[in-house]
Amino acid sequence: MQEEKTVWQKMMSVDRRIIYLMVAVVMIVPIIFPFDQPVRVAERTTGAMFQAIDNFPNENGVFLISADLNPQDQPELYPMLVSWIRHCFHRDIKVLVLCLFPASLGLAEQALNQVATEFNNRAARGVGRRVVYGEDFVFLGWTPPPIVPILGLGENIFDVFPRDFYGDDLRTMPIMVDNRIRNYRNMDMIGSLSASSTPITYIAFAQARFGIRVTAGITAVSAADFYPYIDSGQLTGMLEGMKGAAEYEQLIAEYFPHDDGRRMATEGMSSQSATHIAIIIMILIGNFCYFMQRRVENRRSV
Amino acid sequence: MATDFWTWTAAILTLAILSFLYDDNAFYRTAEHLFIGVANGYSIVLSWYNVVIPHMIDPLVGAFRTTREQGFTTAFFTFDELNVLNPYNDNNFFIIIPMMVGSLYITRFIPKISWMIRIPIGITMGYYTAIAIPASFKASIVRQLEASILTRADFSSWSVLIYGLFIFVTTVATLVYFFFSAEHKGFLRPVSNIGILAVMVGFGASFGLTVMARISLAIGRFVFIFKDWLGIVH
Repeated sequence: MQEEKTVWQKMMSVDRRIIYLMVAVVMIVPIIFPFDQPVRVAERTTGAMFQAIDNFPNENGVFLISADLNPQDQPELYPMLVSWIRHCFHRDIKVLVLCLFPASLGLAEQALNQVATEFNNRAARGVGRRVVYGEDFVFLGWTPPPIVPILGLGENIFDVFPRDFYGDDLRTMPIMVDNRIRNYRNMDMIGSLSASSTPITYIAFAQARFGIRVTAGITAVSAADFYPYIDSGQLTGMLEGMKGAAEYEQLIAEYFPHDDGRRMATEGMSSQSATHIAIIIMILIGNFCYFMQRRVENRRSV
Repeated sequence: MATDFWTWTAAILTLAILSFLYDDNAFYRTAEHLFIGVANGYSIVLSWYNVVIPHMIDPLVGAFRTTREQGFTTAFFTFDELNVLNPYNDNNFFIIIPMMVGSLYITRFIPKISWMIRIPIGITMGYYTAIAIPASFKASIVRQLEASILTRADFSSWSVLIYGLFIFVTTVATLVYFFFSAEHKGFLRPVSNIGILAVMVGFGASFGLTVMARISLAIGRFVFIFKDWLGIVH
């Protein structure tokens, strides 16, 4: 006769769909009824990056963004891209955006258009300044393989990107002419936004060879791999996952109070915290049940 | 609620993919196949317009046009700006060489000459290996080793010293743990135990961050559903 399952065994063999349902409820409720979630800025990562960009020479600082985000990374990386562009536009820093992979093109273009529209709408209300494509920012598009733009931009940007994403001649664009942008020497920093090891490729090829500073926006999954590069000074700060993006949004809100743009990462933080607490409780319950079951089995064997 | 057709499309596909959490079903498989098809089609079209046309067809057509307009003269053998035999020109005939080498990938489908695929693969591997080894060695090994060495700067304050010592000890201990040429006994045993502890802490951090990342992705979809699609959240 089969022995009846103990309560601990039943607890440990709950249908996974019930667990999914519980996690979904815990996740959704704070989205509909968000609670106040203070965001503390990590100084070594987010703070260091914000200060580095904020201290670019105003009006002629140049930030090259390698936007290598895919649709599956959108919740984590897209708010970072939007925040970087906002910060640069607030400080009148010129923005060059390129993609190393074709799947990133749509999101990169969407982010540029979104922030440009935000700024121009505010300027129409008399707040802040207008931004103009070709003068304040340019979308370089994509050229394969990834190593070609990474190395080529150290020599001559026009060899790699003779035209921008829309097919216009890059050589004659005011942003390139007025700021004399030709290679990494004329840029202040590279921001590599990626769910893979692309920032390390920029460190290995662009920084080691041409000496340009590199910063990174990465998914939380790969954050642990990047901390050694912060310690060694090879990365000038980094943003890790949705939390890093929320921290950057917090800094933008503090430094530029008139910025009323949507804070996409911050919207998810209360849900993030609630779900983390739920998962911690589930892990504790799972472990408790495991040890209790072991105790029951030990007693039976005695 | 959203009125945009593409928002509805994205929402329905999101629900179709999430339905896999209950069980495999036709909605999930339809969305999955649609994603693969769209992604491939998108890449092919982009590659055609961003790679094949500007980097292959345009330079070659330009070289033929220049030759037709100017005729084949001795000027072709000088390195002036219009010279179509100058590989540094935008329009030049030399593009034929990488074109031919790249085309050898197609020999994969012709059994008799399929060995020729080794030529482009060999060139690509040789090129990338030569570029990657010194650069990666410098960025990921030499600089990381430098960062783990205790220097005078590490003694500037107690907190910096403790952090520097922690990094130094755990780096050495982890390397000892992965040193399999000597049996881990005597002095090596406690050191390798510290190493495995450091490795476990690293795995724990990675696991925690992975949970955070996966939760973030789900939150992104739920925010889209409740805010952008249903308009419940403002």
